[in-house]
Amino acid sequence: MNDHVLDDLEAYALGALDQADAQRIATHLATCGTCRAEAAALAEVVGTLPDAVTPREPRAALRERVLGAAHADLKPATAGARRRWSPGPIRASRIAFAGLAAAVLVLAAVDVDAYRRLSRTTAERNEYSAIVESLRQGARLWYMTGKDDFAGSGGTLFDPRANGKQPFVLFHDLPPIPQDKVLTIWLVSPDSTWARAATFRPNGQDIQSVQIAAEVAGFDRCAVTLDDSPWGRHGPIVMESRIAPPATTQ
Amino acid sequence: MPDQQPSDDALLSSLAARDLGALAALYDRYGRLAYSLAYRILGDSEGAEDVVQDAFLSAWRGAPGYRRERGNPRAWLLSIVHHRAVDILRRKTTFRPAPLEVAELQPGDEDTALAAEKNVEGRTVRAALEALPQAQRRTIELAYFGGYTHVELSELMGVPLGTVKGRMRIGLQKMRRALERSR
Repeated sequence: MNDHVLDDLEAYALGALDQADAQRIATHLATCGTCRAEAAALAEVVGTLPDAVTPREPRAALRERVLGAAHADLKPATAGARRRWSPGPIRASRIAFAGLAAAVLVLAAVDVDAYRRLSRTTAERNEYSAIVESLRQGARLWYMTGKDDFAGSGGTLFDPRANGKQPFVLFHDLPPIPQDKVLTIWLVSPDSTWARAATFRPNGQDIQSVQIAAEVAGFDRCAVTLDDSPWGRHGPIVMESRIAPPATTQ
Repeated sequence: MPDQQPSDDALLSSLAARDLGALAALYDRYGRLAYSLAYRILGDSEGAEDVVQDAFLSAWRGAPGYRRERGNPRAWLLSIVHHRAVDILRRKTTFRPAPLEVAELQPGDEDTALAAEKNVEGRTVRAALEALPQAQRRTIELAYFGGYTHVELSELMGVPLGTVKGRMRIGLQKMRRALERSR
């Protein structure tokens, strides 16, 4: 079965769909060559529209801002140890607050009791070690709050930003899900393309770590959905977070 | 002495290899266009600069995952700019449909015709737009530059959603043919 979305492709190309509809189309395009070809042709036409805009010269300082932000973004990857981030377009105070809030949320989510339980087995100790090591190396992290049936649970996406280290999500208090369902971790790009990063089922433990097979760079949102299968359309979002560039210290 | 400029694809490959020089070249090539688009949508130079910085940083980070099927590098970059700018516009205005007269007073409209005189691409695209019946052109411009969803446009213009979709479809088809003829 393949429900084509040709009826909405023009609005999709023009960016004239709300987020839910845009995600629906993006998900369909990932698996449908017919619609993808039409979407690409429409995108080419829509891509000419900026040429009709009055040319305006940005301030010269903008070039330095762009290159400076990229340079700051480059440093942790090449130096491997320095935690110095690009401020992006977000105000520094907001970033600082967001970073602090994320850290508090992580500490609140992974509470002291959980840490004690975590240390009981070798496997759990390994997870704990991975987290500590990630943080030590300047990992970026974002917390997703569970909603609806997943209220009270959550997951923290860790991006270790170190060579050979994969990103992972540390979930806590995941509720059981029906036998025929799975959970999927998604990374969402700025153009609303959804990339499947991992599929898993809750293991019944308080804390569960899930490795993701994708780089976080280039995505601006992460989400977890409750799905009927590890392929095809995604189901309802049970937790999500924006992936924002963390704060710089200046 | 021939001065061979790297192609957009080559620049993106270098970007994926974390080459800051390639980012500088990409900015020099498209920074002004990206800023002009963001300013056209937001009507605010500070907001437009934030969008441009955000978009180039996204391209910098996302270059390793870039796939040609998403569009050429220029279209990909500008789609990021468009997406970010519209996102900000929608959040900023809580996005209730305004009266049509107000909605049409988007920043830059008064200057748009001048853009057509500045470059061949602008002239061609503007001509293709202006050749459309007014309802189709207005629908496309309000959607793309005004950030309205098709549902909001239906309400704003007082026509069924199917009519909005039809205007978009036929308008873009005509533009596609006009642009193909001009090549």
